[in-house]
Amino acid sequence: MFRTVSIIVLLVAVAALALHYLVSRLRSPAKAGPVCIVRGLVYLLTLLFLPQQLTLLGKFKKLVYLLAMLCVVVLAVTGFYSVLILGKHISGYLLMIHVTAGGVFAVCLALLALTFAQSHRFNENDWPWLTSMVRRELQEPKLLPENSDLLRKICFWLLIILALPLMLSVVLSMFPLFGTAVQVLLADTHRYSTLTFAAVAIIHTYLIIRAPTSK
Amino acid sequence: MRKGLIQAIAVSSLGCVLLATAAGAQGKIGDESDGSRAVPVHLIPLYDEAVPEFDKQSFKILPQDELLQPFSIRQTCGKCHTYEAVAQGWHFNAPDPNVNPGRAGQPWILADAAARTQVPVSYRPWPNTFRPEQLGLTNWKFARRFARHMPGGGPAEMLDQTEAPEEMMRSYVSGKLEINCLGCHSADPGYDQAEYVLQTARQNYRWAPTAACSFASVTGVAADQSDMYDPLMSDAIKVTYRPNTFDYKNRVLFDIVRKVPNERCYFCHSNFDLSGRDAEKWKADEDVHLAAGLSCVDCHRNGLDHSIIRGYQGEDKISNNPLAATTSCQGCHLGPESSASPVEGRLGAPRPKHLGIPPIHFEKMTCTACHGGPWPDARTHATKTSRAHALGTLGANKSPEALPHIWTPVFAKQPDGKIAPHKLFWPAFWAVEKDDGVTPIPVETARELVGKVIPEQRPLPSGDWLDLSKEQIAKVLSLMSQESSEGRPVYVAGGKLYRLDDSDQLWAGAHPAAAPSMWPIAHNVRPAVQSLGVRSCQDCHATDAPFFFGDVEIDSPLAAGRGSAKMIDFQDLKPFYVKAFAFSFVFRPWLKLVILASCAGLAGVLVLYALRALACVVKVLSEGNGSIEKEDE
Repeated sequence: MFRTVSIIVLLVAVAALALHYLVSRLRSPAKAGPVCIVRGLVYLLTLLFLPQQLTLLGKFKKLVYLLAMLCVVVLAVTGFYSVLILGKHISGYLLMIHVTAGGVFAVCLALLALTFAQSHRFNENDWPWLTSMVRRELQEPKLLPENSDLLRKICFWLLIILALPLMLSVVLSMFPLFGTAVQVLLADTHRYSTLTFAAVAIIHTYLIIRAPTSK
Repeated sequence: MRKGLIQAIAVSSLGCVLLATAAGAQGKIGDESDGSRAVPVHLIPLYDEAVPEFDKQSFKILPQDELLQPFSIRQTCGKCHTYEAVAQGWHFNAPDPNVNPGRAGQPWILADAAARTQVPVSYRPWPNTFRPEQLGLTNWKFARRFARHMPGGGPAEMLDQTEAPEEMMRSYVSGKLEINCLGCHSADPGYDQAEYVLQTARQNYRWAPTAACSFASVTGVAADQSDMYDPLMSDAIKVTYRPNTFDYKNRVLFDIVRKVPNERCYFCHSNFDLSGRDAEKWKADEDVHLAAGLSCVDCHRNGLDHSIIRGYQGEDKISNNPLAATTSCQGCHLGPESSASPVEGRLGAPRPKHLGIPPIHFEKMTCTACHGGPWPDARTHATKTSRAHALGTLGANKSPEALPHIWTPVFAKQPDGKIAPHKLFWPAFWAVEKDDGVTPIPVETARELVGKVIPEQRPLPSGDWLDLSKEQIAKVLSLMSQESSEGRPVYVAGGKLYRLDDSDQLWAGAHPAAAPSMWPIAHNVRPAVQSLGVRSCQDCHATDAPFFFGDVEIDSPLAAGRGSAKMIDFQDLKPFYVKAFAFSFVFRPWLKLVILASCAGLAGVLVLYALRALACVVKVLSEGNGSIEKEDE
C-alpha cells in the first residue's frame, strides 16, 4: 500500500514540477531554460565554495543547509530504496545509516528553522487579495508579483510542521510508552509524514533552484 | 391389504437397518460426548487380548479364572472407544508416511558411550534426523530401546511386521505394546508409570499396562522365556489382581479422566536444566501458565482422533484440529488475524502490551524467543529430558554428564525464518558416505569396531563420553574400509566429518551431515516481567548479549573437537552487522535526546511565529475605518 502511494505521490510531485517548468519556459523562455536549472542546482550545491562575503553566521547557515540537504538525500535513498525497490521495510545497514543521518538531520532542521524562520515570515505582500478584501478596497484585485516567494515560504513552513510528526513518531516509538497497535500507527505516521515531507522538500528545492536564476 | 402390510413391514425394516447403520457410523458410545461435563464412571469389565488361537475373540477376565491374563487396552477400552480413531493421533502416528511432520520436535536419541555415538532417530522426516531403518533399527529393536517412554501404539504395536523370524517369534512371547490409554488418562495415584517402564525392559509388552495399575501386579520376564512360550498355557509370567478388584458383576473401577493430569504428561515430557540456577526441582519455578492454574491439556487439546495441538504458529495449516489456530501463543493472547467474533483472551490470557517493542520483532522472532525457556546465559548449559535420559525410571543415571549431551537455550532460526529458542545436540556416529549422503551404521556394529581398536573400555559410571583420539578414529575408519567396500567410511562428531583421504591421513571438515540436531522449545514460559527485553533493548542488542553472542557448547567424544560456537552462527545473520547494530544502541539515548531537543526547537519556532502571525491577523482585523462605538454612533 505505502509502496504504491509513495510511487504515486513522488511521481505526481515530479510531474507537477516538470509541468511548471514547461509552462514557465513557454511564458519566458530566456529565464527558464534547462541551463538555468542546472546552474541553479550547481549554485545550490556549491554554496560553500563560492566566494564568501557573508558573516560567520551566514557561512554557518549555508553549512547547515548543505548538511541538511545531504541528510535528506541519504534519508530518502535509504528510506525509499527499501520500500520502492526492495518492497520491504528498511532494515540492516540501511537502517543504521538512516537513523544516523536522521539524528544529524533533526539538528540541522532545528537550526534551519531558527535561522531562516524570520526571513520566511509571511507579510501582507504575500496575499494582496486578502488584505484588499479585509480593508474593503474595491479596486481591481491585486495579483502576486512575479518574483513572489510565497510558495517557497509555504513549503518552508510545511517542512517545519511535517518534521514534527516525522521525528516525534520515530522517537516516541523508542520509549516503552506505546503498545503494538500504536507502534504500528507511529510507524505509519512516520512513513506518510516522510512521504509528504519528501514531496514538499522536492518542491522547495525546485523553487530555491529557480529563485537565484530568476532574480 | 395383505400386500400393503408386507410392503409397510419391508419399508420399516429397511428404515431400521438404515438407522442402525447410521448409528454404527456415528461410532461407539464413548466416542462422542452427549454434552454432559460430568466425568463418566469407568466401572467396566476387563477383556484379555484377542489371540488367533481363539479366532481373534477376546474374553472377559474373571477373578476365578485359573490362569489370569493381563487385560488388553485395545479390547477393554476399545469396547466403548474406537481404538483405530485414537491410533491416528500424534502420539501414535509417527510411522505413518502420510502424516505431515510439522515443525521439528525432539527426536529419539540413540546414545552409546562405547560406540562414541549419539544419533537422532525419528520416524518423522525431520531435518538432521535418521529413520530407524537407516540405523538398522527394526520396530522390535526400536521398542527395545525406547518403549520405556512410548505411549504404546505406533511402531511398538507393529512388532510382528518384521522380516526377522526371531523378532517375530519374540513378539509372540512379549506381545505388542498397545496404546496405553492409562498412561495419560489414569488419575489413580497408584498408577505407576515407572513399573510400566520396568515391564517394557523385561519385554513384558503385553503385561505392561496391567502391571502399572495399582490393582494388579505381574511377575516373570518375557525376555527369559523361550520362543515357544505361550502365556495362555503357562504362568511363568503371572498376573495377580488385588483382592476386591472385581465387583460382584466382575467389573473393575478405573479412575479415568478426560482432562489428563500434568503429572502424566511429565513422565515423558519433563525437562531438567542443569544450570546452577535451577539444578534442583524445588529451586525452579514452573511454567507461568501452570502457575496460573492451567494444565498442559488446556492448550494441548485433542478430540477422539487424538490429533493433539502442538501449539506452534502455523500449525493450523497442517493440523486437522479445529482449535489449532486459536490455541497457539498468538491464538490465545491475540486471537487469529481474522475472526468473526473476538476469541483472544481465552482462559484468561492477557493481551500483551509489548510497550516500546518495534513490531518487526514479531516478524523476526517467535513469542517463545523472549518468553520461553531459560534466560540465556553467556554459555549454553546442559539439560536432560525424560525421553533422552529416561528420567523417572528406576536406575536412571542422575549424573549431569550422562549421554546424550543436550544444550539449551540456543537461539536459532527456524525454517519459517523466525528465531526461536532450541535444544541442541551434536550428533556423533560412524557412517558410510555414498553419493546419496551419509548413512550411519548400526550402533552394535560401531561398538564392535571401536572395541577392536580400543579394547577393554568400560562405560563410565557418569555415562559420559569415553575418550577418543584422532589416531583411534583413523584406525576405526581404516578397519571399516577393510571390512566393507561399500562407500567411504566416515565419522561424524562435534559438527565435523572425519574421513581418511587418499594418503590415509585423517581429514576433518564441515559437512551437512554433521549439523547439530535442534528442536524448538516453548516451556517453561516465564512471566512477562522476566521476558527478554523487559529491562532494555540491550538485553539482546548489546555487543556481548547472549542472545546473539552467547557461546553454544560444541560437544564431541574427541577432546580436541570440543569448543564453542556463537549463537549468531545459528541465526543466518552477519556477525559484524549484528555487532555494529548492537553498538549503535550505545548512542541511542543520545539520539533520543537530540531528536527530542530538535522537536522542541521546531515546536518553539512554530509556536512563536504562529503567535506572531496571530498578532498580525489581530492587527489587520483591528485596522478599519472606525471603531465599533463610532459605527454605532
